[in-house]
Amino acid sequence: MSANNTSNNVVIVEQIKSLIYKTCLNQDDLNWGDWLDSCDDGFEYAIRSYSPEISADMTYLSGNREHMRSLVDMLPKHNSDHSPLKRHCTVYDVQVAEDGRSATATTSLAVYQTLLDGINSHVDAGSSHLFLVGRYNDRFSISDGQVKFAEREVRLLNRRLDKGSHYPI
Amino acid sequence: MSSRNHAQWTAPPKLSKGEWVDSRIYTDQAIFEEELDKIWKKSWIPVCHESELKNAYDFRTVTVAREPVIVVRGKDMKVRSFLNVCPHRGNMIERRPSGSFREGSPSGTPRHMTCMFHAWQFDMKGRCTYISRQEEGYQDRLKKEDVGLRELRTEVYFGGFVWVNLDDNNPMTVEDWAAGSLDCLRSSLDEEPLEIFHYHKAIIPCNYKLWHDTNCEFYHDFLHYHNRITGFNDAYFARKNSGFNNGHINVGSFEVQYDKYQGFHSRETLSFPHLPPNHWYMVDMFPGVNFNLRGSALRCDLMTPLGPDKVLIEFRGLGLASDTPEERQTRVQHHNSIWGPFGRNLHEDLLAVTAQGACMHPAAENRHILHARHENETIHDENGMRHYYEEWGRWLDRSPSNPDHAFEAYQIPDPASEGQRASA
Repeated sequence: MSANNTSNNVVIVEQIKSLIYKTCLNQDDLNWGDWLDSCDDGFEYAIRSYSPEISADMTYLSGNREHMRSLVDMLPKHNSDHSPLKRHCTVYDVQVAEDGRSATATTSLAVYQTLLDGINSHVDAGSSHLFLVGRYNDRFSISDGQVKFAEREVRLLNRRLDKGSHYPI
Repeated sequence: MSSRNHAQWTAPPKLSKGEWVDSRIYTDQAIFEEELDKIWKKSWIPVCHESELKNAYDFRTVTVAREPVIVVRGKDMKVRSFLNVCPHRGNMIERRPSGSFREGSPSGTPRHMTCMFHAWQFDMKGRCTYISRQEEGYQDRLKKEDVGLRELRTEVYFGGFVWVNLDDNNPMTVEDWAAGSLDCLRSSLDEEPLEIFHYHKAIIPCNYKLWHDTNCEFYHDFLHYHNRITGFNDAYFARKNSGFNNGHINVGSFEVQYDKYQGFHSRETLSFPHLPPNHWYMVDMFPGVNFNLRGSALRCDLMTPLGPDKVLIEFRGLGLASDTPEERQTRVQHHNSIWGPFGRNLHEDLLAVTAQGACMHPAAENRHILHARHENETIHDENGMRHYYEEWGRWLDRSPSNPDHAFEAYQIPDPASEGQRASA
């Protein structure tokens, strides 16, 4: 019997799926603190994309948990596009390590943006469009039955990002 | 008077000629078409970096003034560029953004550019090497020698950027064209090979000049919390904003205090050759190119005008080819924290020009856009934009403040000082 088929791992897999989905809801609602509280101390975050234009793998944003917390804490001081983002994801695969202390997950991701103040609000506010397409490649730490994010790579297909965003994805 | 009626709002400002521009230069389709023909098709444009074509037979495709262009590295390692157009029926020869001709294509043989439509083939020097069923169709009336590609003037210059000029008759080299504007960065960028590590693009609903204006003026640092907190000090306000021939400007350096921004640290441990730690130079080249060296990372913006109200902006980030993996990671992190698509400053700049575009679309009421700040040609002086539009008026023979009238050279009094423009 593989590690992923034990009854304990079935519980862990469901915990991981639930954590990924809840994190989408938290980020959609700008509850950055709840997201970062679900990350362990050594958490690393990165948004990456491969560019066929320059034939190179690129990192668009990266940081550890404290760096990400600082970035979101500073948001009120910045001029931003406040158009809400909605993350639609499907967890395709979860693999729990043999020792049960870590796991990885692959999640398909689409992010929609509903315009608010990004262009001309009278004309554009309220319209939604596809903003980003990619995957979450997550790694988790598991301790005493509790799952936490150890690493999140947002792997985008996009290289055209127009105005971009101040929000983590 | 706290507000104005329509007549007052549309009346010319009580400023000197050259201290404002007419917003039609940002919105008018006819002016836009003239700009493509008279400026963009005659200027040197850095379309990519040589590190995007590292090996023989590598290629990169771009667009200049609506013309599809292909840049290739030959077997002799020389970089050449051609119109990416088949001389047979005008099809685009290569559709991918980049790649290698070392392998064959479904219609063609290795080490050749092949038009998939009818399988005509060309070598890396633009010579036609194969016409399918040539003798059956053309007998001896048309030969391969008659149908080579259209080669474009190409130079690799200034840290390895690949410059292309569509105009065969412009006698200037890129060095002539730069007119000294790049000198402040040359020792840093020419010391050793550079390598690209970042690319992304934006299509923004605004005129390309609005993005160039934003790169040319630093008064808009009030937009950026990061720049205010890490910069606003005596050394910042003393930075010189200098004009050069051909419409280029550069902005002098000072030491940025990155550690003043919560969560950021000093970047003094990593820089470029001959660049003091944490320093920051910027060069804005006519008609729409920006080089921006902030300590550990070089940024290059290239504008491709798509319409009077639409511009493609390509953002590149570069480090040293000799970087260790750790150094490269640090450069990437420094670059992205400010200039990446999720960075602190770039998003703010793009929001601002998008909002300008929303107010200056082709059907918008005509407006006067002020370029009238005088601060002894220092950082918040708007002399950079004035210098650009003086050049723009000369190229189009239109007055920037009244584009229906022919351009006339003018002297703008400087109430802040008697400072002299540093034009070469």
